[in-house]
Amino acid sequence: MRIEGEFTFDGPREEVWELLHDPDVLARALPGTETLERVGENVYAGEMRVGVGPFTAGSYDVEVRLEEQVPPERYTMIVDGRGSLGFARGKAEVELEEEGSNRTRMRYASDLQVGGKVAGVGQRLLDSVGRGMTKQGLEALNEELRARLEGGPGSGEG
Amino acid sequence: MKPPPFEYRAPDSLGEALDLMGEHGWDAKPLAGGQSLVPAMNFRLAAPAILVDLQRIDGLAGIRETDGGLAIGAMTTQREAERSDRVAGLAPLLHEAMPFVAHPQIRNRGTVGGSVAHADPAAELPAVLLALGASFRAASRDEPGGRWIDAADFFQGLFATALSPEELLVEVAVPAPAARSGAAFDEFSRRHGDYALAGVAAVVELDEAGRCADARATLLSVADGPFVAEAVPATLAGEEPTGEALADAAAAVAAEIDPPSDIHASAEYRRHLAEVLVRRTLGRAAGRARGDVAP
Repeated sequence: MRIEGEFTFDGPREEVWELLHDPDVLARALPGTETLERVGENVYAGEMRVGVGPFTAGSYDVEVRLEEQVPPERYTMIVDGRGSLGFARGKAEVELEEEGSNRTRMRYASDLQVGGKVAGVGQRLLDSVGRGMTKQGLEALNEELRARLEGGPGSGEG
Repeated sequence: MKPPPFEYRAPDSLGEALDLMGEHGWDAKPLAGGQSLVPAMNFRLAAPAILVDLQRIDGLAGIRETDGGLAIGAMTTQREAERSDRVAGLAPLLHEAMPFVAHPQIRNRGTVGGSVAHADPAAELPAVLLALGASFRAASRDEPGGRWIDAADFFQGLFATALSPEELLVEVAVPAPAARSGAAFDEFSRRHGDYALAGVAAVVELDEAGRCADARATLLSVADGPFVAEAVPATLAGEEPTGEALADAAAAVAAEIDPPSDIHASAEYRRHLAEVLVRRTLGRAAGRARGDVAP
């Protein structure tokens, strides 16, 4: 499954970079994330529940490793998720570009292998679910960013 | 495979069913024909704590004529809708689409309301009812008479609708076709009855001069829900539906959509299918509006 696209954040690039590296913010923003914490330098681990409408695709132990980091421009995420109903692994490349002084354009391209029962039964939906979750997550992150910027410096909890 | 344990309730009245839904909300799932929910439970992809079976409730099934068109009870089987003379007469688009809904065995059990409430992006009924400007009545414990929701507001993406967890879809209202209008449905799947790779429901309404007073198309399997192609009215309104105009409209739809890729079809292939199907269905709908293509 390949998911690529662009998204514009309403804030400066350094702030976006910081947001994308804050496990508490990511846990709140990314759909289905139950827990997410930093377990090592550039390594995050947690639990995600994936579901759509009446379907639950189970819960997954997810590990995300950040590599090839060039702050605040680009990084690569190596994703490894395992659950009772299947697995997902692959990588995503993220690029951040300044768009004026107060907006940041993100380009992302991910290539994920999804397998197990979820892929067998839900193949035709994977692309839509992946895209939907990406969009929902990015919009929620943008909300976090706005709240953080409006709250002024120091009110990181948004 | 077998489903995880669940509690089963089969209320005899709508009021009782609404009470159960009101009480249990997210934990409960209404069971209509069970043609999507039960397989999902057997695969353990859905695990509702309580199933509320709607089969024993009187008055939820049946098709009747109303002032403005048709009222179809949510528990009406798809097979009944397919074979109904009232549907053939007052909702020919729905009549034409019904044989594409899965297989006869499934249509014997599957219900009109179940398919609508399930909101599968590959389902025919949501796209057709959206093209027809249908509306849906949702009842709840607090509002047993129900509230009406337009199809345009009802479908909200992948398996998502405007229904709250406490509500039950009880009725579908389908407006009768306008004068000088025609409609057509077509889809493409690898085998008949499989999920369509792409499908289109088209409606064309002509003015006295033979120009499009209204033209619209909704697509299935090309987005996360039934997709209203804005390019169709944008390119065809006020135009004569010539072959060239229809081809332009179809090309504009192909540019408008952003279909998913999967092992069954790439996004590009779906885009191509959508273009061909939009051109064909709009052509047939326009011909029926003129009266020179058989209904």
